[in-house]
Amino acid sequence: MKRGWRGLLADYGVLVALVLLFAINVFTRGESFLQAENLRNLVSQNAYVGIIAVGMTFVIMTAGIDLSVGSMLAFCGAVAVLVLNRQDAGGAAAGTAVLFAVLASMAVGAASGFANGVAIAFGRVAPFIVTLAGLAAFRSLALVLGKGGEIRSQVSEFQDFGFGGVPLPFLTNQAGQPIVLYWSLLIFLGVALLASFLLNRTPFGRYMIAVGANERAARYSAIDTKTIKLWTYTFLGALVGLAAVLNAARMNSVGTGSVGLYYELDAIAAVVIGGTSLRGGKGRIWGTVVGVILLTLIANMMTAYRIDTNWQGLVRGAVILIAVLLQRGSKEND
Amino acid sequence: MVMDFPAVRALDGVSVSFEPGEVHGIVGENGAGKSTLMRILAGLQLPTSGEIWHGDDSMRLVELHGVRDALKLGIAMIHQELNLVDPLTVAENVWLGREPRSTGLIRKGRMRELTESYLDQVGARFGPDDTVGSLSLAQKQLVEIAKALSQEASILIMDEPTSVLSEQETASLFALIERLKERGVSVAYISHRLAEVEQVCDRVTVLRDGKLIAMLERGMASQSEMAALMVGRELGDMFPAKREVAESPPALRALEVSDGERVFGASLEVRPHEVVGLAGLIGSGRTEFAEILVGVRPLASGRIERQGAPVRIGSAKQAARHRVAYVSEDRKDTGLVLAMDTIENITLANLRSYARPLIDRGSEREAAGQWVRRLDIRVGDLRAPTLYLSGGNQQKVSVAKWLELEPKVLILDEPTRGVDVGAKREMYGLIQELASSGMACIVISSELPELLGLCHRVLVMRHGRIVGELAGDEMTEEAIMVLAAGVEAA
Repeated sequence: MKRGWRGLLADYGVLVALVLLFAINVFTRGESFLQAENLRNLVSQNAYVGIIAVGMTFVIMTAGIDLSVGSMLAFCGAVAVLVLNRQDAGGAAAGTAVLFAVLASMAVGAASGFANGVAIAFGRVAPFIVTLAGLAAFRSLALVLGKGGEIRSQVSEFQDFGFGGVPLPFLTNQAGQPIVLYWSLLIFLGVALLASFLLNRTPFGRYMIAVGANERAARYSAIDTKTIKLWTYTFLGALVGLAAVLNAARMNSVGTGSVGLYYELDAIAAVVIGGTSLRGGKGRIWGTVVGVILLTLIANMMTAYRIDTNWQGLVRGAVILIAVLLQRGSKEND
Repeated sequence: MVMDFPAVRALDGVSVSFEPGEVHGIVGENGAGKSTLMRILAGLQLPTSGEIWHGDDSMRLVELHGVRDALKLGIAMIHQELNLVDPLTVAENVWLGREPRSTGLIRKGRMRELTESYLDQVGARFGPDDTVGSLSLAQKQLVEIAKALSQEASILIMDEPTSVLSEQETASLFALIERLKERGVSVAYISHRLAEVEQVCDRVTVLRDGKLIAMLERGMASQSEMAALMVGRELGDMFPAKREVAESPPALRALEVSDGERVFGASLEVRPHEVVGLAGLIGSGRTEFAEILVGVRPLASGRIERQGAPVRIGSAKQAARHRVAYVSEDRKDTGLVLAMDTIENITLANLRSYARPLIDRGSEREAAGQWVRRLDIRVGDLRAPTLYLSGGNQQKVSVAKWLELEPKVLILDEPTRGVDVGAKREMYGLIQELASSGMACIVISSELPELLGLCHRVLVMRHGRIVGELAGDEMTEEAIMVLAAGVEAA
């Protein structure tokens, strides 16, 4: 086993890249970059994509893929706001209404993921095809619910939930208000911790690695491979539901035609940049988290340096390619 | 023609020569340096030092920087894993990348004609237009040899050529080697099967730990001599004595089991303390029968009983619950997750007992350590992927994984394939030990001496059916072959 610095770069390159970019920002933007508020935004801006990317890590680790998460997010969000408004109209307290919206969104997400998983694991249709179908179908369902447009929440506390969180002690922004760690940010980190735990410390995690690395050997080793795969899609679905309701709360509405567009690409990009192998069998949650932050940092930089937003896609594309090429470096003798 | 290369690293100062029209056997345990030697000859690897000389009348110093260089000198390798493209035809495979052309277009007629003549030379009974995917492994091997001949190869390197062949196919391969010899082709013959080496080779080079131990002429190279030289010590009897099996109800019983595809109405029973052999040619349905018993192949009809009670085994997981384990023949594909380390592989089938509910890494490591000591698995780092282990050690990890489950019925499919003599003997000892501790064992093997040495009874399969059962004095290699091949004894 030759490791050396190339191997290290392949394993921790994404972390090195993040530190480098961070340093560049500190040197060129100094104060304004290091402000607590900016740093908080850096992590929370893409928390929705981050929550999805954590679930996507499991799916990709087992040599699957889910292209339907963006559409699913719109569908779950639409259900969430409809449930919220109905609860409100029925005279429920705001807190209860929000709770129901969260539960409904996660349930619908889990059911959608379950449907994907059944078609993939038991129907034995390629994940790419099943979730491509999902990409079309879930968007359509969202549009039907929203009659082709936006669904607005009637509950103002919903948005408070979106902007609420835990205030940081001692730190304030320029206006003198405390800096709040949003729920979405905390939930993202909590979900990542939970997933990390599942992956590294439970049989489920070990089974995912086995299924991804060699599905036949896993099946011969008394592992119920179909159920493992089904669970990864269901788990991802539930997380999409969670991200959907957080996103809707922030906007206080769901634009059924536009919300979640390209989220599947961002999530997959973060997972891959983070060092999870698309061939399956190898995955790491911390890598995905770093991947999400890295992508956000790049977008953040381009805004700060006033680069035309039209160029952003090109830069992201380049980053994804470079990340994958670097990680492949040490695996040539596989 | 002669070749010399003193002082190579995985090889230490080994010199070998290949004369025209000679079959030169290369034997040694796994890791002895056979493969390295052959890779250097085939141009796949450069020696760190040493020289290769080649020529007909006058010898010339040559350098082999790639397969192309080797081919130019007429050195071609027939790989253990055959390198053919399944969807293409035989002719297309033989001429892949060097198709006869005129004005840029492939001359299909010419290609077919040439292929036919080479197929003729190797005695193939299929045509140039057959798809390679439709051929048996033995036939594919003939395609590889035809391809080598079409490249005007004068030195053929055969790496374990018989490991995928039945006895009959092996015999016809030897006949072909004999014909090639007469044409002046020399063959470098690598094999673990010493009986075959003794039969087919004119000279035998024995390697151990990268060093040349001996060069034996035909007649000197007896199996026991080669085995002793390979391991560097005298091997006692390969097989420990069999123990008597007490009368008791069967631990596992299969009644008229079919999958509707490869296995038709096969029955079997095995008692505790008993070792039952399952013989048959490649493709006779032995492995498929075992796969039905452990639920990884669907049971279309028939019945499986454990300790007299009918059981439903629809997956390896259910089989594990009934304490029936299957050590598969194919370590790479179904036996191990090669990307995982030794610990993870050993506990994979029994992981639940280490999860309370979180995986207890400490006791996992401890258990794996115990197996490593008990089965003498040579592993440097328990945390390194099993990919880096030798065949014999991979096999032991695979066995440990199933013993970890404390099975009552253990099915071993080709337990010593690709494994060296020393490890084979250990495996035989282990199987005997497990049986005497009360396990019911089923051993599937293509090596008849193995079945005779280990088993109390042998069932023979042909075309997916059990065609006979032999025990005691009737158990001979001939009797098994007669049943397996389906020919009437004269």
